[in-house]
Amino acid sequence: MSHILNYIDVAHRCVKCGDEMQDFNSKISGMSKIEELSQNTTCIHKMHPMSKLITTLVYVVTVISFNRYSITALVPFIFYPVILMSLSETPYKPFFKRLLVALPFSAMAGISNIIFDKEILATIGGISISAGVVSFISIILKTILTVFAVLILMSTTKLTELAFQLTRMKIPSILVLQLTMTYRYISVLLKEASTMFTAYMIRSTDHKGIKFKDMGVFLGQLILRSMDRAERVYCAMKCRGFNGEYNRTCSKRINLKSYVYMIGISSLIIIFRFYNFSMLLGSLWG
Amino acid sequence: MHMADALLSPAVGGVMTAISVGTLGYSAYKVKKDDLDEKKVPIMGVMGAFVFAAQMINFTIPGTGSSGHIGGGIMLAALLGQYPAFLTIAAVLIIQALFFADGGLLALGCNIFNMGFFSCFVAYPLIFKPILKKGINTKNITIAAVLSTIIGLQFGAFSVVLETLASGITELPFKTFVALMQPIHLAIGLVEGIITAAVVTFVYKMRPELLENSVSGKAMRDISMKKVLSVMAVLVVVVGCVLSLFASAYPDGLEWSMEGVSGTAELEASGGIYDSLSALQEKLAFLPDYSFKSDEDGSNLGTATSGIVGAILTLGLAGIVGVSISAIKKKKKDK
Repeated sequence: MSHILNYIDVAHRCVKCGDEMQDFNSKISGMSKIEELSQNTTCIHKMHPMSKLITTLVYVVTVISFNRYSITALVPFIFYPVILMSLSETPYKPFFKRLLVALPFSAMAGISNIIFDKEILATIGGISISAGVVSFISIILKTILTVFAVLILMSTTKLTELAFQLTRMKIPSILVLQLTMTYRYISVLLKEASTMFTAYMIRSTDHKGIKFKDMGVFLGQLILRSMDRAERVYCAMKCRGFNGEYNRTCSKRINLKSYVYMIGISSLIIIFRFYNFSMLLGSLWG
Repeated sequence: MHMADALLSPAVGGVMTAISVGTLGYSAYKVKKDDLDEKKVPIMGVMGAFVFAAQMINFTIPGTGSSGHIGGGIMLAALLGQYPAFLTIAAVLIIQALFFADGGLLALGCNIFNMGFFSCFVAYPLIFKPILKKGINTKNITIAAVLSTIIGLQFGAFSVVLETLASGITELPFKTFVALMQPIHLAIGLVEGIITAAVVTFVYKMRPELLENSVSGKAMRDISMKKVLSVMAVLVVVVGCVLSLFASAYPDGLEWSMEGVSGTAELEASGGIYDSLSALQEKLAFLPDYSFKSDEDGSNLGTATSGIVGAILTLGLAGIVGVSISAIKKKKKDK
């Protein structure tokens, strides 16, 4: 009987730590989701990585160059994510999930504007709108647009291709290698950590996660395991002729389509920067 | 304390990116010069991934019931040395920005500076290393780790305040912002410092050579404190000049902090550059000095309303465009 009770207890703990493990797994799957998306072959995916990188930079810089009371002028910029996501057949759901990560800090700054900036800017239909509210909406809008732009770039471009472009831009190869290797090993080490975590949870008497006093040993163990792994990785790389450089044989040149994409979209972005499309449309309507 | 793109102005983002890129370039050069790159690359890569995994593990903070996780700057510096640690943190932050929307593309410069620079190039060489040079033991490791983590985080948090205010996006007064950020990060720093100490002590007990190598490491032999300090001094001056230049161009950015310092909100700024810059700003800003406020005659009300109507129409249009593209694509596929 005590045996069975023991099993039930262990099973119970497994379920308990299963909840906590979700966090691990969602992070792993979240990352592979974006990587999966980047394997597609739509017209946006086929564009040269460099043209997409430059366009994204132009877009982000333009969006954040608006002052803090801009809303109507920012709204047309929503065309960029909408059109690109439809063309690249990217689903919205994973993006919104990530938006939740980015929002809190921006929201905090935005809310402080509502509190401190109480000047009334306009009264519409008897409701007075303060400058703080306007800037709050503007900050949230900017957050959404910038987060989406970066996620679109990553879900239509493979990290390895982007990394190769970085080396062509004369970014030191050690940094680029560092980037790609870290990326590659995140899921490996997350699995390692999650195995250790499960083991810890099953052995622990309460189910409240890792105790503060065990944190040093736990993370220290993880470090030693990581270092051992690194050693093995190094030996394996050395066996395959690694000499500290990032080698790639063929380099794709920017084709005409990509030039057209980059210049076309960038100029549209800049036009929208100086002409308020919303106002134009609104005045036509009225 | 990740800065977001939405809270930055292009000028602040650009300046901080330039500073971080410079520091990254120098670190890459140092790692390469010391001939460490080949062997360090896999270790750095895997350790970067380690930071990710470690950040996923929440621990319960005793007495509070809340949980926290580590940042890892000092830990990496202690085990890898400052230059490789800086490169590693940068890679972690870049991946966080690109794949997890934690921080932004343009905010990367700020984030690398806030979280990497201060722990790797200020707290580690000026606090952590000197203490451990006196002798590596549990007591010294604990003091060094806690002190350097707290100080690194305090600098980082203060730098977040300055960058946000200089961007002029938030209305938060300087004093309130500082009073909010510094104590929070003091608490975070204390907890993180204790954990860092525990981890480093554990690693030291298991593999003493790892810590000994990086503290007395041959890689760091040629860096004197003087050099670090003078580089810092130059950086401070450069940052100060650039920030003040641009602060006068965008007066609303630093005005609150000025109020706190000098008692007046406005710096007396005039002259050719200032005038032309503000004229440029008027042209660039779509609502120059909040054009749709002030007048009570209702003419501006009209502009505001048409703006809102236009924005709603634009949203609708964007939606229609998106749906139709998807529909067309689907139709093509079905064929």
